[in-house]
Amino acid sequence: MDRLLVSPSPHLHTRTSTKSLMRDVVIAMLPAVVVSVLFYGWAELLVLGVSVASCVLLEYLITKYLLNKPCTVCDMSAVVTGVLLALNLPATTPWWVVFIGAVVAIGVAKMTFGGLGQNLFNPAIVGRVFLLISFPTYMTDWAKPNGFISPASVDAFTGATPLGLAKEGGVAAVEGLDYMDMLFLNIGGSAGELSAIAILVGFVYLLARKVIKPYITLSILATVAVFSGIFWAVDPQQFTGPVFNLLTGGVLLGAVFMATDYVTSPMSNVGGIIFGVGIGLITMLVRYFGAYPEGMSFAILIMNAVVPLINKWCHTKKFGRA
Amino acid sequence: MMKTFSIGGIHPNDSKISKDCPIEVLPVPSKVYISVAQHLGAPATPVVKAGDQVKVGQVIAEPAGFISAYVHSSVSGTVKSVGPRKDLAGNNVTHIEIDVEGDEWVEGVDLTDTLVTEIPEDDKATLEKIKMCGVVGLGGATFPAHVKLCPPPGSKAECLILNGAECEPYLTSDYRIMIERSREIVVGAAIMKKVLGGCPAVIGIEENKPEAIKAMSEAVAELQATAKGYEGISVMSLKKKYPQGGEKQLIDAVMGRQVKSGGLPISVGAVVQNVATSLAVYEAVQKNIPLITNVMTVTGDCLPMENQHNYKFRIGMPLSYIAEEAGGIPEDAVKVISGGPMMGKAIANLEATTVKGSSSLLYLTAEQTVRGVESACIRCGKCAEACPMGLEPFLLNRYARNNMMDELEENAVQDCIECGCCLYSCPANIPLLDIIRIAKGDVIRIIRTRK
Amino acid sequence: MTQTIIWTIAILTILGALLAVVLYIVAEKFKVEEDPRIDEVEKVLPGANCGGCGQAGCRAFAQHCVKSESLDSCFCPVGGNDVMQKVAGVLGVEVAAKEPMVAVVRCNGTCENRPRTNEYGGYQSCRVKAALYSGDTGCSFGCLGCGDCVAACQFGAIKMDPATGLPVVDEEKCTACGACVKACPKNVIELRNKGRRGMRVYVSCINKDKGAVARKACKAACIGCGKCAKVCPFEAITVENNLAYIDFTKCRLCKKCVAECPTGAIHAVNFPVIKPKEE
Repeated sequence: MDRLLVSPSPHLHTRTSTKSLMRDVVIAMLPAVVVSVLFYGWAELLVLGVSVASCVLLEYLITKYLLNKPCTVCDMSAVVTGVLLALNLPATTPWWVVFIGAVVAIGVAKMTFGGLGQNLFNPAIVGRVFLLISFPTYMTDWAKPNGFISPASVDAFTGATPLGLAKEGGVAAVEGLDYMDMLFLNIGGSAGELSAIAILVGFVYLLARKVIKPYITLSILATVAVFSGIFWAVDPQQFTGPVFNLLTGGVLLGAVFMATDYVTSPMSNVGGIIFGVGIGLITMLVRYFGAYPEGMSFAILIMNAVVPLINKWCHTKKFGRA
Repeated sequence: MMKTFSIGGIHPNDSKISKDCPIEVLPVPSKVYISVAQHLGAPATPVVKAGDQVKVGQVIAEPAGFISAYVHSSVSGTVKSVGPRKDLAGNNVTHIEIDVEGDEWVEGVDLTDTLVTEIPEDDKATLEKIKMCGVVGLGGATFPAHVKLCPPPGSKAECLILNGAECEPYLTSDYRIMIERSREIVVGAAIMKKVLGGCPAVIGIEENKPEAIKAMSEAVAELQATAKGYEGISVMSLKKKYPQGGEKQLIDAVMGRQVKSGGLPISVGAVVQNVATSLAVYEAVQKNIPLITNVMTVTGDCLPMENQHNYKFRIGMPLSYIAEEAGGIPEDAVKVISGGPMMGKAIANLEATTVKGSSSLLYLTAEQTVRGVESACIRCGKCAEACPMGLEPFLLNRYARNNMMDELEENAVQDCIECGCCLYSCPANIPLLDIIRIAKGDVIRIIRTRK
Repeated sequence: MTQTIIWTIAILTILGALLAVVLYIVAEKFKVEEDPRIDEVEKVLPGANCGGCGQAGCRAFAQHCVKSESLDSCFCPVGGNDVMQKVAGVLGVEVAAKEPMVAVVRCNGTCENRPRTNEYGGYQSCRVKAALYSGDTGCSFGCLGCGDCVAACQFGAIKMDPATGLPVVDEEKCTACGACVKACPKNVIELRNKGRRGMRVYVSCINKDKGAVARKACKAACIGCGKCAKVCPFEAITVENNLAYIDFTKCRLCKKCVAECPTGAIHAVNFPVIKPKEE
């Protein structure tokens, strides 16, 4: 020791860093990733690889050459975006479509706003929604699981997700569906929607590591359940039930991994609940009354836009101020 | 369920490495430099000059205002000089330099170990003694004790809270005195409680110090059984959470009342004193010993176990002397802190000397203390979650960087207690508290000029 | 089909016309009466909104100028005398010319002169650093080197010199708005007159410690020996609290003090280099 180091208090710091938080999110997504690779095989691996690699590469190039800012690749946020984007796409998506998705996610949704922490909308969802609107054929061409393991009931539903079937054929079209199948192996759908259990494992991990708080996720799920429960109770012939709505589509994936994104969600607990209820309502409105079979992505994007307002209204409870 | 404060808080590793090191008395060096600014408020005015002979316990500086305190000589000998000297932050402060000759105390001081349990009847005389002995709060703020013990007219103390939380990691000086001087602390509590009009007294100790809780409970029981004036004193075990020892947090934890923004503890009927202050009150009132000693911890992860110490020091000892006595500064230490690692001050100048409120020499390694590179805020909200005052540091940081004073005031930056929870918990290493502290000063100044 | 288009155009046209009338009426009714001279004065101002004049911005300064009877209390440091003459012209009053000023950094505690005694590891801001302690050298008065002045300068006139760790003022760009003076928590920077052809003599130190202490902390410190004050023929130099100060209103640039100073704390800048006489 030559010279004493002097700095203002506090002198100790938490071991948690942006990087460790992002790493935890990636770890939490691993079960979903593993399940999707097992069931969709090489195609899914290709989508994952292209998505993550292009997100990271784009972030590197943009920070280094366009923004002239310190490179932020090391904080792993681009990896999170990449994995999320891949989990949101069908395994059959051609690699160049995935790449365009990454360009929109990182280039448009994240970097134009100033990079990590500045973006208003969740990059992965912006990427997905862009692809959904631009390449609807690729985005709704749900291949039947054709990977290393094949589910028994694979032949029952191919070519469309349960939500898609319900949209077209009404409740009757999905009557034969086994909820247990959906819990463990949802059939058809974007890669990340395969297994509810895998996503819930990730959710528990994130909670245990104190990366996220449960408010947003739980309020989304509760809203979806209550909303669909009411409609289902009124007319079970026309509306799908709560369990079906919770387990299908991107509800779980979105509620656990996308709506809870720090940057694009409210900071306070109360704000989180408002945010979650909003997402749940919009999702169900789109599903029941909208043109698309699935509304989770739109719901999150719409609520992302409201976050600054929610943050303005919802402040923490201050000590000694009634 | 065990009590604690209601908002925020963090759980740093408590690292009480030196907790089993008994208190040792540091030998007196050949020369001491006693600062006249050892308390909150106006620096005291020196009343000795070069060449004067002084004894241990003799007044060498007098209070220069209502909020100020007496300073006594901690040694006997000859005053060599009175003049500016750099304190631990490198700023000039008037110090009284004394060459040590022998160890001769002033008259009337009781240096025996006998426990005096009888509580004096005359409150005025007791307060006068506390004032004359220069007792200040030893929990960190060094606020003159006698001022705090005279509630302003119209307010009444409903509870005296003794702060034994010692929520700062590493520090063990309060822990040691609670174990070794538990009875004296309880007598001090009884004296203060009497002065405050007989309100109940609660000694709050965090659950991670079971031995201290046991020792203090036994001392309370023993004194309640053998002497008069000890009813209404109790020990309360608190859940471990930083900053439990913060005045407002401790009141919230013990009484369940929140001091209003800008208010004093007495507004909710609370008076908070540190256990070390209670010991100083005991020594002042029962033994006539002025506050010239205190206990400090010498510790750190990089310090070998045999060099960990709890020292009883006298004021005016150079910190470098204490470091030497404790076996030198370890090689891999990069920062030396006076006080706890959360709120203590990093020492810039080891030639600075101990003051009444010194509580530690804490060595931290580069790995522990060097801040990471600041990166973008990811709006995780961990700072707001950690803030024990319920503030939103991320927001204050943004307002402060843009000089938005009105917004800062609206968002209660002036309530910040500078506990450091926000900066501690920020994953992006944003210097939140550094910036908020400055903004807080500015806003408080604006509020004052408005009045 | 055609009918629809015609209807649409007609409705929009009528709507537009109606709203235009409403807007006109509202604008007339709620018009704020303001002295037209304010606009005129604002036009001649530099528009930097730096606050160097003591007002909130150029508009506020223009209002202040129009409101006050004489221009004695008004001065735009950025525009200088030229602009003030123009302002006076607009308002039809006289204004006395002011000496041009420049920001002067009164610290020569370079890395070499002032050895570092500790390292600073907090937020790189002079205010934060100054609130914490005396700085990373033995001198508790001088420049802290975190560049608050650089951040405060709107004209890019101050840069940190990485070699010395001290700020350097670009005299061409400096407008003497005083933002850096306010930003410096140590009061190192002072506005001094620019001087004839930019020539200035000043004490580049603000250390008030006793000579020995100051000298130990920094080789280029003013030690308050008072030799400069004795040698000055114009009584421009005062020594107070172990620190010499040159009153620029009295200094006649004789440079006697510069030669006398034992530590080289007195600086003379922009003097023509005199060729050494051949012997």
